[in-house]
Amino acid sequence: MSLYVDRPSVIHRLDPLTKLCYIAAAVTVPFICPVKSVALLVAAVTYILLAAGRVVTKVLPLLGFVAPVLLSIFIIQGMFMPDNHALVFRIGPLYFYKEGLSYAALLSLRVIGILGAFSLLVLTTKPSDLIQALMEKGLPPEIGYVLNAVLQIIPQMANALQRITDAQRARGLETDGRLLDRIKAFFPLIGPVVMNAFVETKDRAMALEVRAFNSKTKRTFLHVRKKHPADVALRIMCLAAIILAVVWRLVG
Amino acid sequence: MNDVSLDLGGESTAFIGQNGAGKSTLMKLLKGLLVPERGDILINGKNTKDTSAAKLAGEIGLIFQNPNEQIFKHKVFDEVAFGPRRIMDAREAEARTAAALRTVGLFHKKDVNPYDLSLSERKLVAAASVLAMDTDIVIFDEPTMGQDEKGIRTLKAILEDLKGQGKLVLAVLHDMAFAAECFERIVVMAHGEILLDGPPEAVFANEEALKKAGVEPPPVMQLAIRCGFTERPVTKESFLRLYYERR
Repeated sequence: MSLYVDRPSVIHRLDPLTKLCYIAAAVTVPFICPVKSVALLVAAVTYILLAAGRVVTKVLPLLGFVAPVLLSIFIIQGMFMPDNHALVFRIGPLYFYKEGLSYAALLSLRVIGILGAFSLLVLTTKPSDLIQALMEKGLPPEIGYVLNAVLQIIPQMANALQRITDAQRARGLETDGRLLDRIKAFFPLIGPVVMNAFVETKDRAMALEVRAFNSKTKRTFLHVRKKHPADVALRIMCLAAIILAVVWRLVG
Repeated sequence: MNDVSLDLGGESTAFIGQNGAGKSTLMKLLKGLLVPERGDILINGKNTKDTSAAKLAGEIGLIFQNPNEQIFKHKVFDEVAFGPRRIMDAREAEARTAAALRTVGLFHKKDVNPYDLSLSERKLVAAASVLAMDTDIVIFDEPTMGQDEKGIRTLKAILEDLKGQGKLVLAVLHDMAFAAECFERIVVMAHGEILLDGPPEAVFANEEALKKAGVEPPPVMQLAIRCGFTERPVTKESFLRLYYERR
């Protein structure tokens, strides 16, 4: 259960924490410097990195998903922003102004950039690698386990739900078709799911306990992650970008 | 599934084979939970493609391996009555439910919460919930798995009772002794195909095909081979008969 796409690329080999640093920079810089050229630059860099990670096609569905929202921003800001003075074009009774469209473009570039930055992390990083990286930096192992377990449990529950659906259909329960049938099918389906989840939780807790989950000694990790020499340099660059942006804002 | 053609008439039939051989898939196809991409499955003349699993519930019953995947009522009686209440009137449903609970020997626990029962008993509740629907065909998926000695004895009695009523009993089994003792016909499957099909004596004597399917013959037959018998008994009784003859 993750959006991770396995590709041989430099981006994939980067430390997850470096990608987190990049998100921090890509999100803060365009807000600190509220001009279109900065937002455009950040978005461009992000999509070049996505291309380097060979996952740019996987972002397109996400962009398609936010496209209606962005379109509505253009319509609302373009027509109704209070600062609107310079008319650009009109469609029948609809008047679009330069100031509004310009502001909408800034917002859209920010959204597209942020979306790309998060995609860069999610599409090129295995969730377990990210969680391990965070645990190495001091995230409590209990929380690390919970994060990992959530990702594992969703497909498991989906499987269980399929088997339960089969079992109830076998007993004459209509699970598709009319809306009323579907509503009536809710309890026979959700009941076993919840009961099994409770029972499994107990088993899981005991299985973890016999493997010394609550041990207080310092943990080691089975998989030693390779440090990429570029990681430190990239993190410094991200930090530098944020500092530069702040300086530009204060001076300019 | 590949090139499977079967006529399941009157004989009680056990399906054996390794995990992933396609046994449970075949049962789901028969039950209409899955629909074949090519070919047809006719249940009492009705094509499973033209009807829903829920509509077939009155004709073919499938008892799943894991009872926890179906139990949702707070009382054993209501759990068992869930299916019958969907396909018959209330009075008949209650009568069938009571009868099914007596058959599995759990009538005295009809007001207990199913989750307070042992796994063995819960499996019997799941069995009763299908038996109560009074279908012409009853399929058991791994009925012996996780079942204790008492449960297995109850199960044997249930199978005999169903056969006595003229119903078609099918089962997916890993317990070869149980398959050989209780079923008239054995179908051996591997990789979605049928390797062998016939009475237990003939099927279990074909050592080569069994090896190919990754299945071991019943323990008594293995014992007979170790004892140097030329015959191939499949039940305890036939083994003992041979044993006393030789003494």
